[in-house]
Amino acid sequence: MIDFFLYAALNIILVIALAPLYISVIKKVKAYYQGRKGPRLFQTYYNLFKLFSKERVYSTNSSFIMRVSPYVNIICSILAILFIPLLFIPNNTLGFENIILFLYILAIGKFFISLSGLDAASTFGGMGSSREMSISSIVEPVVIMIFAAFVFVFKSFNFFDIFRQTSLNLDHISLWLLLIPLVIVLLTEVARIPIDNPETHLELTMIHEAMILEQSGSDLALIEMSSAIKQLLWIGIIINIFIPFGFDLLLSISGLFIGFVSFFIKSILIAIGIGVIESYLTKYRLFRLPNLFAIAFFLALITIMMEVLL
Amino acid sequence: MANSFLFPCAVVLLSLSIILPLIFVKIKKPIFRKISLLSIILACVVLITLSAGVFINETANFNIFILGMNFSLLIDNLAAFFIFIISLVGLCVAIYSFSYTEHFDNCIKRNMLISIMSFFILSMIFVVISHNLVSFLFFWELMSISSFLLIMFDYEKEGTKKAGIFYFAMTQLSTLFLIISFVIIYNHTGTLDFSKISELSPILTSLLFILLTIGFCTKAGIIPFHKWLPYAHPASPSSISALMSGLMIKIAIYGLIRFIFLFSFQELWWGILILVLGTISALLGVIYALKEHNLKRLLAYHSIENIGIIFIGIGLYMIFSYYNLPNIALVALFAGLFHTLNHALFKSLLFLTSGSVVNSTHTKNIEEMGGLVKKMPYTAILFLIGAISISALPPFNGFVSELMIFQIFFKSNAISSPIINLILLISMSLFALTSALAAACFVKAFGIVFLAAPRSKEAKEAKEADLSMLIGPAILAILCIILGIFSYQIFSFIGNKAGIIFDLPNLLWISLAGIVILIITVLIVKIISNKNSRVGETWGCGINKQNSRMEYTASGFSEPIVTIFSTIFQTKKVNKKEYYDSDKVIFKEGHAKISLIKFFEEYLYLPELKLINKISEKLYKIQNEIELDPYILYIFLTILILLIIIGVVIK
Repeated sequence: MIDFFLYAALNIILVIALAPLYISVIKKVKAYYQGRKGPRLFQTYYNLFKLFSKERVYSTNSSFIMRVSPYVNIICSILAILFIPLLFIPNNTLGFENIILFLYILAIGKFFISLSGLDAASTFGGMGSSREMSISSIVEPVVIMIFAAFVFVFKSFNFFDIFRQTSLNLDHISLWLLLIPLVIVLLTEVARIPIDNPETHLELTMIHEAMILEQSGSDLALIEMSSAIKQLLWIGIIINIFIPFGFDLLLSISGLFIGFVSFFIKSILIAIGIGVIESYLTKYRLFRLPNLFAIAFFLALITIMMEVLL
Repeated sequence: MANSFLFPCAVVLLSLSIILPLIFVKIKKPIFRKISLLSIILACVVLITLSAGVFINETANFNIFILGMNFSLLIDNLAAFFIFIISLVGLCVAIYSFSYTEHFDNCIKRNMLISIMSFFILSMIFVVISHNLVSFLFFWELMSISSFLLIMFDYEKEGTKKAGIFYFAMTQLSTLFLIISFVIIYNHTGTLDFSKISELSPILTSLLFILLTIGFCTKAGIIPFHKWLPYAHPASPSSISALMSGLMIKIAIYGLIRFIFLFSFQELWWGILILVLGTISALLGVIYALKEHNLKRLLAYHSIENIGIIFIGIGLYMIFSYYNLPNIALVALFAGLFHTLNHALFKSLLFLTSGSVVNSTHTKNIEEMGGLVKKMPYTAILFLIGAISISALPPFNGFVSELMIFQIFFKSNAISSPIINLILLISMSLFALTSALAAACFVKAFGIVFLAAPRSKEAKEAKEADLSMLIGPAILAILCIILGIFSYQIFSFIGNKAGIIFDLPNLLWISLAGIVILIITVLIVKIISNKNSRVGETWGCGINKQNSRMEYTASGFSEPIVTIFSTIFQTKKVNKKEYYDSDKVIFKEGHAKISLIKFFEEYLYLPELKLINKISEKLYKIQNEIELDPYILYIFLTILILLIIIGVVIK
């Protein structure tokens, strides 16, 4: 019980404190590739702070959905943090372990944000939520297939169990095939190139940004925060499955420190990787995305069939 | 002991509510309607206690003899579960009907609606407790006929007649298949009793399984037998849609499960067939729903989807029990049954609230709604709860049953057959797609109906529904939440009794954690953020005043998904030209039309209809267009052939 509360507090504080950093890191990498200097590493924190100190503007058309959804979104993201251990794995999990539950908790946030996109009666918002829901539904089979692959390989649908197994035993060769689908899902869930372009405000290209166009002030800050959290969580899943070393299994101060340092280095490397991918790719046309997801789907399916047959 | 008193008590109460409005059919005052609705409510409460009693204690047995026929009735656990569902939904619909019925302009209609409605509920209860072939068929037909009358309720409206005839044909098709299979059973066992079915030979049992599956699928609305649902639901009153979609199609599920239990063995392909049918229905149901802009038809397509999900659960149960994995199989069965209960709750909730919406906007087209959240806030919240439940989002009940099904799919590694594994995996991914698309569809439904600016004058002038039209759905909404949040506790109780491990997450903890996090977040945001807020116009891209024509429409919303699944929505182009001359130079006139292909109607139903029409045309000629002499010759020849056949058979 107590080690779970310690875990929960540490994990939540760590993720909330670090999450905005990675957005800056990706921006910095992209700026480097474009030959610019790029914003400071703490710029995202300043932005959030700025948003918190601004007043909120609500549309005349909007209802309680607009006011409630940023909170629903951030709560879902914070609850999801409890599913992904980043520094150490507690023994008692109080039910925060089921991989399907993790997915669907994130889905609640998406559901409400999409509703708030429609709430202000703006064309942009509706377009954004329409695209967001379409993309998130066609990526769903891929995500489930990836998770099914975890279950087939590790014989458990408990995140903590799976991560404990990966940190003890590193040779799940067939899993490496899952890296590509997982990266595609990561890019989809956090709305980045080639699926979505978070930088522009053009109606042709934007999805997530269009949906939250009518949000302002602290509400917008909460939404930005929760997408930053989601990004870090998916990075965390990739780290825990593929490069899991450095986990603190005994819960000691020095172990936690090593765990933090190794997690920090690995996650920054992955964020740099995302920046590199974004710099080399362009945004795909919306209706070419199903092809991308089909590739991811088949790779995940092949992983499972390899596990079944070999 | 209590059962033998409670059940007749409920029957008497329901009969009272059938007869009372019929006797006072021309009385305009609502007093008798209120009494009969009250007695429906009482009967439902009695039935709920009855089914709870059956769960705890023993089964109840009755034998009623009418005209020498033995109507054997038995309330066992399965029947009690369905009685529980029926009376729960019946209770809420009866409460809803207190004011809903009064919105019809004609007092005869009002009285008839209540009378037939309680007859419908009564017949469903009797189907569920029937324990021989005759009584099952008898009450099944009563249920079909009463539901047909209820669909034809708005008989003067356009489209109702088509819906009614379509429904009647389909429901009789279902009965036909049941009759054929019952005749086969009777012929080979010599008894009308259920218990002898297990003695049939394997080939015969497989045949029976196919016949019964077609019969029950037609009633349940499984694709390709689903076409009556999208016609019948928009035509019938909303309280009736809630009963039909929440309950009647579940009775078909009950029938299927009942007969599967009765068979002594199983083939692998039965389970696969049910699984495949379920997966196809679930996926196509939700994709059709996305394209649909008639609110009630949208919900009807979602019924097809959810029946598909229940079928997936049953199919998984059959596959896993074939492989002798009873623990996993039973979890699958419970998942299917739990989804049956959940769907009954949230679909009735959605149909009832959509009835309130249709009542105050006078349209079923969601493109003419919008902004209703400000006019009908309570209805909006109730609809939202239903939408979240049906989209399978935690911590609501729809999520729990879908989670159980996902976990069973994940356990398919217990089966060591690669082909079955592959089938299950594909089915699982389509199931995941279904549940995600359902969420997209309900973002559309809630967003377009309730949010943004009103799109029509009627929507602008909408009023909140009456109190009873809020209480009825509110009970269902509360049940949706309770069954979700306390699912872990409920299923660990059931698991202890039945000796199964369900392995569900404790949603109560997760909801509590969510509340704690909410409080902390709100406090932190209060402290660090700017508290000012103001209200302003939505940015209209440079136009001074934004109007409702600028907001996103339902068609616009579903456009990306429709484009992605464009193979399903194929269009047909008709381009006819006529010319004055034979060289096709001088154009005379022509017309072109682009229409959506209604795949099942045009390629499955219509060809058969044409075939039957052709045959009957030929037969018509034989009968009517010839002289008397050949006609006598035909009769003579028929008798002769019959005699020869009989002679050969006897020898």
